[in-house]
Amino acid sequence: MKKITQFLFLALSVSLFVSCSNDDSDNPKGVYDDGFFILNEGSADGGSVSFVGEDLSTFNADVYKTVNGADFVGKYLQNIFFDGDKAYIISGGSNVINVVNRYTFQLIAKIDSDLANPRYGVVKDGKAYVTNANTYSYSNPATGDTDDYVAVINLTTNKVESKIALNSTANRIIEENNKLYITDASNSKLLILNPSTKALEGSVEIGFGANSMEEEDGYLYILKNSYSDRSEIVKVKLSDKTIAKITFPESLDSGQGFLDIEDNKIYYTANNDVYVMSTSATAASTTPIFTAAISTDGSIYGFAVEDDKIYVSDSGDYASNSKAFVYNLSGALLKDFTVGIAPNGFYFND
Amino acid sequence: MTLKKLFSFCFLFLCQFIWAQSDTITNLKEVIVSDANLIKYSNSQSVLKLNDSIINKNEPLLTDLLNFNSTIYFKEYGRGMLSTVSFRGTTASQTAVIWNGININSQMNGSTDFNTISGTDYNSVSVKAGGGSVLYGSGAIGGTVHLNNDMKFDNKFTNKLRLDYGSFNTIGINYQTNISNDKWSTQIGFSKNSSTNDYKYLNRYTWRGEQRWNQNGQYDIITVNANAGYKFNAKNRLKLYTQASNTDRNTSLLTESEIKTKYKSGFNRNLLEYDGDFGKLTTNLKAAYIFEDFQYFPDNSLNLFTFGKTENLITKADIGYSLSKSTQLNAIADYSKTKGYGSGFGDHAREISSVALLLKQDFSTDWKNELSVRKEFTENYKSPVLFSLGTSYQFSELYNLKVNVSRNFRIPTFNDLYWEQGGNPDLKPESSYQAEIGNVFSFKNISLTQTFYYIKIQDLLQWVPGRGGIWSPKNTDKVNSYGSETLLNWNKQYGKNHFTASATYAYTISEDLETKNQLFFVPFHKATGAVSYSRNKISAYYQFLYNGFVYTQTDNDPDKIVKDYTVSNIGVDYDFNFLNSFKLGFQLLNLFNKNYESLESRPMPGRNFNIYLNFKF
Repeated sequence: MKKITQFLFLALSVSLFVSCSNDDSDNPKGVYDDGFFILNEGSADGGSVSFVGEDLSTFNADVYKTVNGADFVGKYLQNIFFDGDKAYIISGGSNVINVVNRYTFQLIAKIDSDLANPRYGVVKDGKAYVTNANTYSYSNPATGDTDDYVAVINLTTNKVESKIALNSTANRIIEENNKLYITDASNSKLLILNPSTKALEGSVEIGFGANSMEEEDGYLYILKNSYSDRSEIVKVKLSDKTIAKITFPESLDSGQGFLDIEDNKIYYTANNDVYVMSTSATAASTTPIFTAAISTDGSIYGFAVEDDKIYVSDSGDYASNSKAFVYNLSGALLKDFTVGIAPNGFYFND
Repeated sequence: MTLKKLFSFCFLFLCQFIWAQSDTITNLKEVIVSDANLIKYSNSQSVLKLNDSIINKNEPLLTDLLNFNSTIYFKEYGRGMLSTVSFRGTTASQTAVIWNGININSQMNGSTDFNTISGTDYNSVSVKAGGGSVLYGSGAIGGTVHLNNDMKFDNKFTNKLRLDYGSFNTIGINYQTNISNDKWSTQIGFSKNSSTNDYKYLNRYTWRGEQRWNQNGQYDIITVNANAGYKFNAKNRLKLYTQASNTDRNTSLLTESEIKTKYKSGFNRNLLEYDGDFGKLTTNLKAAYIFEDFQYFPDNSLNLFTFGKTENLITKADIGYSLSKSTQLNAIADYSKTKGYGSGFGDHAREISSVALLLKQDFSTDWKNELSVRKEFTENYKSPVLFSLGTSYQFSELYNLKVNVSRNFRIPTFNDLYWEQGGNPDLKPESSYQAEIGNVFSFKNISLTQTFYYIKIQDLLQWVPGRGGIWSPKNTDKVNSYGSETLLNWNKQYGKNHFTASATYAYTISEDLETKNQLFFVPFHKATGAVSYSRNKISAYYQFLYNGFVYTQTDNDPDKIVKDYTVSNIGVDYDFNFLNSFKLGFQLLNLFNKNYESLESRPMPGRNFNIYLNFKF
């Protein structure tokens, strides 16, 4: 249950795509080339992955099942990351990472040992770095908040080859310029990890509540959801680790918000509204571009901006199929899709 | 610790009874039922009684007994794991389990796990369909399951020992002794059911091609009972029921790589009861203390756990008065105090008192009427006035008509009210109106009961996600549940050949009024059947269960279901006539090796066996 309250993030920093050679030739590498996946967190009975073609007309609600039949993808699917022609689907509830061909979705292998509540992953030089929440303090008050680690996975053998202890909590992770940046809502610090030395290189005090983050032009933008204070965007200058903050007005108080950066614009959400502001702005916009068509019991659970489209998913009631929406940049609804339970992220495959 | 204490208590009593037996001997047979109101005020509803001969033909845990013999639907998280019910299309906490007249549903989550109870610990298990909140309180909406220890005052010293050994190291030990004379009656029982439960999943392999099996599914359930009754004289008698149990159970894995977890739970129940019979006036006073606790270990390799405990003190006074030969009035007042503390919901107490008035009028032996009203008083929530109104008319030997209308409720649990975070102290109880018509046909050796019911449930408590992802219970949904239940019984003797057959069928529609969808985990169809044959020392039986498909999502996605299944068992036993009775039995369970799931991705075992020895001396 705890995990359901966690939020989605686009683990795909632009740099990830550098490694995959996309050609614009007319030879698709598989059925699921050119389009995007929607990760459905699912319930204790397992999650699913939906696929939408680039033209928004091809749709498959459960590609993993379509391709891999009865194989169980795992419960509480948290994140997908890519490397080359492979996609890695993290199941937090089953301690599994499913390795599939990103174009055919054929199961290749499973990384199924030495993981403990895996959350998010990135790839750098043939190795995946996956945050593991390990135990939680509600059941392990002694070390629940200090036992999180990064699993270093050799992507040739698909085995965890080492664990980097973080001595704090960890959730989201991105790679930028040969450094790994790690945040967690209940950790007031941004952790900086060096993948070459497999050691922590320091931290930056940013305050509690960190959720989505994105790097752009030497700055790390972190959206913080604050339950008692105001929400904030913390801007960390990576060269000298100085920070600047944009504090949201009270009208933008929100349990969970998301952020994505596209063309020097920060797109962010508060409650069911989507806003935009310039990366150079010093105050948040309080006029939404649009209000997403979220269900009564639901909230925004996944968010992305890519190629002039805004992608929003609805958590739904966590017990029935929910929806994912595609809007244009001015907020007009282009299409919606009925996906699985609790869709929590969009992953672009092109 | 509690078990030890109870043991010494049992032996203390045992000595007294052995001594008492050598006392005066007057052969006065009398059975005192533990729950008089179940018989007195249930004329207008259907009660299915499963006696010990049926209990003995089933696997010990209550899930199997009721799954194969009643219309109740079970949701089992793998064999022997957490098992919850849906009765007449209601939720797990809308079926109340009643132990010797006392409601024992968990104060923490409102429901009962039917795999923590062994049917062999009771003389009879009764299933009463339909509302019963006036008599049994919270949760008696879909129906009630009654676990009864009836006492005999018949000057006998009997012992029963049953030993089971089956596939997956499944071991059952059940011992019961009854000692009584005309003044004293006592029963002492012990049961232990355990299994390594490491069965193979039929035709299921990991991605590496290895056979999958039920990992981390082991369980061990130990229960001790000691019940005693004493008749001071014809007018006054005292009864004491005590029971303690401990369940130590791991939780079966969905995938091999999951963290292994386990769950320990236990209870201790004590009930002291006084019966006074003064002609027109009868009194029944009860005092009960019920302790319940659990520990959840989120990782077996670490000695860390979350926990919850509740202590519940119940006092009840029931005064009966016969206004005339045909009219009986009962006034009941009760008070209960529950203290709960746990890692999830802090430290809280709640007090509830209630008064009830019950009237029973028999215009003739063929026409019986019941009317009862109850009102609860508590500071925690506003409680509706509950009632039950029923009539039973026997038109002829062939046909009996029963009609009952009632209002029932379920109160919010400690989790609902106080869970940190999300608990909502401003909840209303769930409440329901219910109407049913029962047709009972009896013809020679056949009895057929056909009941149609309609239940309207309001303020259904649902945990829904709120702002910031914090889940919180709310009185949201309205549900209409309606359908029919059919119970069929037949028995016939041809010379030395004795045949019996029984069947049940339930058709259930349980509709969320807003979405018009069937509630998830409520099957439209469920049927059971059993036939048995006995001749001289040998008896053989066959039983089957058909469970219709269930939706696993609230939106009734046709791809997200647990498929329907039929599973059959067959058994045979032979009585060597050594001592009073010495039966050796053999059972084949899941005879046709059906690959089925009770819940999504939770496979049940294929064909497996059980051997048992049943001694009576």
